[in-house]
Amino acid sequence: MSDLLGFVLSGLVSGALYALLATGLVLSYSASGLFNFAHGATAYLCALAFYELHSGLGWPAVPTALLLVGVVAPALGWGLDRLMFRTLARVGETAQIVATIGLLVALPALGLWIVELLEDAGVSVRPAENQFGLPGVGPSPAKSWQLMDGVGVDSDQLITWVATAVVAIGLWILMRHTPLGLKLRAAVDNRSLVELRGMSADRLSSIAWMLSSALAGLAGVLATPLLGLSAHDFTLFLFVSATAAVLGRFASIPLAFAGGLGLGVLQNLVAGYATFAERITGFRTAVPFLILFAGLLVLTRRQRTAGTAAAVDAPPVDYLAGRSWVRRWGPWTAAGLLLALAFYTVTTPFWSGILAQGLALSLVFVSFTVVTGLGAMVSLAQATFVTGAALVAGLLMSHGWPFVAATVVGTCAAAVLGALVALPALRLGGRSLALATLALAFLADQVLFQMGWLRNGDTGWAIPRPVFGPVDLGDDRAMGVAMIVLLALVVATLSALRDSPSGRAMLAVRSAPAAAMASGVSVIRTKLMLFTLSAGLAGFGGVMYASYSTRITATDFTAMTGLIWLAVVVAAGVRRPQFAVVAGLVYALVPHLVSDYVTDSVHLPVILFGLAGLALANDPDGYCAAVPTRWHQRRAATATRTAEVSDAAPPSPEAALELRSLHAGYDGAPVLRGVDLMVRPGEILALLGPNGAGKSTTCRVAAGLLRPLGGQVYVAGRDATRERAVGRSRAGVVLAPEGRGIFPALTIEENLALYLRDRAARDAVYERFPELAARRAVPAGSLSGGEQQILALAPLLQRPPTVLVADEPSLGLAPRVVDEVFRLLVELKEAGTALLLVEEKATEVLGVADRVAYLAQGRVTWCGSRAEVEADRLTEAYLGIAAGQPKHQGPQPEGISRPWTPEGTVRP
Amino acid sequence: MSRPIRTITAAVAALLLATTACNSAADGGSSDKAGSSVRGVTDDSIKVGGIVSMTTATGYSKKDTDLGAKARFDRANAEGGVNGRKIDYLGAEDDGQDPAKNLAAARKLVQQDKVFAIAPMSSTTFSGADFLQQQKVPTFGWGTLPSFCGPTYIYGFGGCMVPMPGGTISQTWPEGLKQVTGGSQGKSVAILANDSDAGTFAIRTYKQSFASAGYDVTFAKSSVPAGAVPSDWSAYTKEILRSDGGKAPDAVVSVMQTPYNIGLFTALKRTGYDGVLTDPTDYDPSLLAKSATKKALDGVHILLSFQPFEQDSPAMRQFKEDITKAAGKDVPLNMHMMTGYMSADLFLAIAEKAGKDLTVASFQKAAGAFSDKGTMVGDRAEPRGRKESFGCGALVQLKGGKYVVSAPFKCYSPIPFK
Repeated sequence: MSDLLGFVLSGLVSGALYALLATGLVLSYSASGLFNFAHGATAYLCALAFYELHSGLGWPAVPTALLLVGVVAPALGWGLDRLMFRTLARVGETAQIVATIGLLVALPALGLWIVELLEDAGVSVRPAENQFGLPGVGPSPAKSWQLMDGVGVDSDQLITWVATAVVAIGLWILMRHTPLGLKLRAAVDNRSLVELRGMSADRLSSIAWMLSSALAGLAGVLATPLLGLSAHDFTLFLFVSATAAVLGRFASIPLAFAGGLGLGVLQNLVAGYATFAERITGFRTAVPFLILFAGLLVLTRRQRTAGTAAAVDAPPVDYLAGRSWVRRWGPWTAAGLLLALAFYTVTTPFWSGILAQGLALSLVFVSFTVVTGLGAMVSLAQATFVTGAALVAGLLMSHGWPFVAATVVGTCAAAVLGALVALPALRLGGRSLALATLALAFLADQVLFQMGWLRNGDTGWAIPRPVFGPVDLGDDRAMGVAMIVLLALVVATLSALRDSPSGRAMLAVRSAPAAAMASGVSVIRTKLMLFTLSAGLAGFGGVMYASYSTRITATDFTAMTGLIWLAVVVAAGVRRPQFAVVAGLVYALVPHLVSDYVTDSVHLPVILFGLAGLALANDPDGYCAAVPTRWHQRRAATATRTAEVSDAAPPSPEAALELRSLHAGYDGAPVLRGVDLMVRPGEILALLGPNGAGKSTTCRVAAGLLRPLGGQVYVAGRDATRERAVGRSRAGVVLAPEGRGIFPALTIEENLALYLRDRAARDAVYERFPELAARRAVPAGSLSGGEQQILALAPLLQRPPTVLVADEPSLGLAPRVVDEVFRLLVELKEAGTALLLVEEKATEVLGVADRVAYLAQGRVTWCGSRAEVEADRLTEAYLGIAAGQPKHQGPQPEGISRPWTPEGTVRP
Repeated sequence: MSRPIRTITAAVAALLLATTACNSAADGGSSDKAGSSVRGVTDDSIKVGGIVSMTTATGYSKKDTDLGAKARFDRANAEGGVNGRKIDYLGAEDDGQDPAKNLAAARKLVQQDKVFAIAPMSSTTFSGADFLQQQKVPTFGWGTLPSFCGPTYIYGFGGCMVPMPGGTISQTWPEGLKQVTGGSQGKSVAILANDSDAGTFAIRTYKQSFASAGYDVTFAKSSVPAGAVPSDWSAYTKEILRSDGGKAPDAVVSVMQTPYNIGLFTALKRTGYDGVLTDPTDYDPSLLAKSATKKALDGVHILLSFQPFEQDSPAMRQFKEDITKAAGKDVPLNMHMMTGYMSADLFLAIAEKAGKDLTVASFQKAAGAFSDKGTMVGDRAEPRGRKESFGCGALVQLKGGKYVVSAPFKCYSPIPFK
């Protein structure tokens, strides 16, 4: 019994640290949708700073810790949010994952570099080497107390518990009982709606990142005595605590917190009682990752269409599409030939070797373009496939197998491993998949590759370079040229695959799995195939790379290596295999070039690689893809600028909202082509039109969610074109978005409180709508559709906005409820609000509208008072044949690949 | 495959064939040419470089290895060099414990800097080993990796310290421990290692080693998670303390790294255990600088494979003097300085024997029949060192904030590894 108590008590120590880290993860995830792989690095940075300030400069422990946790860490979080997270929130998930992986490498290197610079400057810092028994906040050595036989606590543990408890209570008060907490929770629930309600989601995201960073800092300072100064250990610790964040489904702070504590205890219990596993080497080591993997499988909600790229991950426009073969491939072919030539003319043996190494690695890197580029699945297990294939090939070669046969079997082994890893991918997607593959990679490192017969101890297996007749790859130059040929073959095959029916099926699964399934493409088979192919390719590359080094040992490529590889590849661009070749060469060459020509510090290249992640925030498709894209954008920009006609006429003085010759679209596909609309106070303007006419786009532009490419938006006579949603909302323009404009996870009371601070005003709402009053503590998400719509509109009655833009407010509601909603809208009108009402229920809307406008193909084709509306005009408006225009749809039909989030906002 | 892609593939394949054909013709000539002048050796100098893990993701640094080597080479140069040639020591490349960087560092030293030999090489990875062997670069370092066992150009300063099946096991640890426990008769030991392949191997080795020295091995498990240091040790201590028929064993042997030892020993002491604690890694004066580690490791006996700094001898005095001179000030000594120093020392000793006409071949010939006695790593002999360690060691005990010799430095005869 005392055993158990001891296990639980001391498990709570690491549990507390897990809880702190997991809470920070959840906070930052909910603020910007980013899983921050660099969270552990932040903790490490604070631990390092604490050590240097406390032990190096002799600052007192507690004030230093408070300074770090209260000021420095939040400042770091704020800075990172401003610099990258804010922009990253608007790009695809792959870029997000990779950018923070970059930070995971860059932040510790940055800290070490700063220490190095300070040391050079003569500051009395200590060398930032890992040391053991570092002092924490409490006394050092820690005081310990024996509670009962075999159960003891020490002062460091006690401090960790107390600090964690204080933080838990503080967070609870902040989130549950302050207006800021309410806004933060609202932002978690529905970020774009927060913006539409006039609260800056960016500012809230900054606050969340500051809190998150402070929590990481606290964990770092507290963990110093336990983890020392190893960035690696902090990151491992973070991955384990990710399990707790998964438990909280990346949204619930209390669950994540409790999960963290439970995780620590569970881990301890398994270590204490898992005697059954003694025969499996590495089982106990792998326990945290087993828990992470199991947690992901069990707890991740099955996605409706799992494993897909979010719509925001849309591929960039291929500007070379349809160009001649020479335009597309000429430069690459020339570069390849020149490189092959260089091996025999200019490069020295050393650089030949480095180039050959880079090219061999490129083969591995190309595998990322299959799973991540084609499949939009982030695999962090590629290093596992590399090690697996090379070990198998080496094992066979040691038994006298020829190189080619061993390579084939090794490649197949990797492919099988890939298929096994892919099994969870069938139900997971995005960051859950990334974490699951990471967990499997660690499991492979700690269990699979610990098997003596496979790894052959630390000796590993020799993989001699092959000799084919006269061609001896023992020469680095021949090796290099052989790699170029292999790469050319692989790139050509992959490009051909991409254009083949299977490739199209893969792209279909990537962008619209439901549609792909409907057209008879098996999503499961496609994903399995992608993973298998990619793993096989990685394995093949791995055997080649191992034969470059002439040996493979089980520790050559660890799970962490795979993480860094991914960052390097994605930074270059993961959509085309040839970009991966560039990445491989850059990865091999740059450190040597930097050390030869720039600085001796080994930290700088690491920082540079990490910061490539920063660039992803602006060019999510990598630097290789950015070159043509930017060039093209610049040309397009100059073209638009000349086309734009400035409208010098002053805004109409009586209009509450005026749209003038608006042009807007998505990714170069125009939707609005000159929309002119005007709504006066106390007037309802109904906007009718067929699907794809641009009604919702008009709403988005009016609310500031989408920035127009041309034209003006005036609010009460003031030019508001440049204002974003927050500013627009504060100026009195409220958008009731398509669907329900409520925060489903917040209670009715909280939903109202976000708009109506004043209790009396909320009471007035309850008085008017007793059905809401009765259920004020119920989460709004559990209300019926009609009640939700009323909850969205009811508070507006208490404080009528200047303009209300309502996008299909009656969508999916019962007729009786529709009547009530329309009554509310009329009431608002009578209170002086100008309403722009987009509706498809034309008959009902004609009952309330003062004026009607028809929108077709991005233009207002008719606008007039209700009385002038003729029945056949109405029919035309619905059938999309208004104004005698030819009957064809715009190039980008409305409602496709355009989520209702600010992420959809196009950059100008 | 589309037509253009076929074209490019064919073109590149043709190019490959053409270039590799002329390469293979040129290749044989170029490697023969190297024989005419010896790489890195001039009439008055020998170029030597080093590879050391200095900055790593785990924060573990061996950078003082470089200082140790420099100290030894400085003295050799001050004494007139080796057969009239000064050592041109380029300093150590940092491999960051990264296999790719280790190989790149080896290639850089050989192909770009054109060194004659590499000393020291100290890292947890040695992926450059095959390349150095193939390029015939004599390399000297810490023989804790399998690459130091077997290859003809790679030398461990204390021999090969990885026991190989069919080879031998050094008996330094149990024999030294006998002096602490007053013989092995009727004494029980518990051995604990990490849950990894390396840990399993260590258990296999030391179980045999301690048993054949007469100890009763009552517990030998590789069960401690290798990924991260456990925050709670009670699960392990309970099992150990009951292992000798319900009683605690006379000695607890930890085959783990410092942070694990700190955790394990602290937990054992907290239960009131008063037997002998011993491990092979904690001989590091920086551990004495912090009160937490000083307390945790107090009383622990630590195995060394070289002469302890606390044991006086002319060679040790010379070592301390050389280090002070190279560092430019008094610095706390650590084992990395010793590994660098003794790696350089073995290279110098063999180079000396190779005589005035220094080539790789003459060097290897000298190494083939090399032996000397009474160094700080004991009696050295090649090629014996390629198969087994020189079998010498000592135990020191951390006592009251400093290290005290508990079993003086001595060489023991190894036993066959089954």
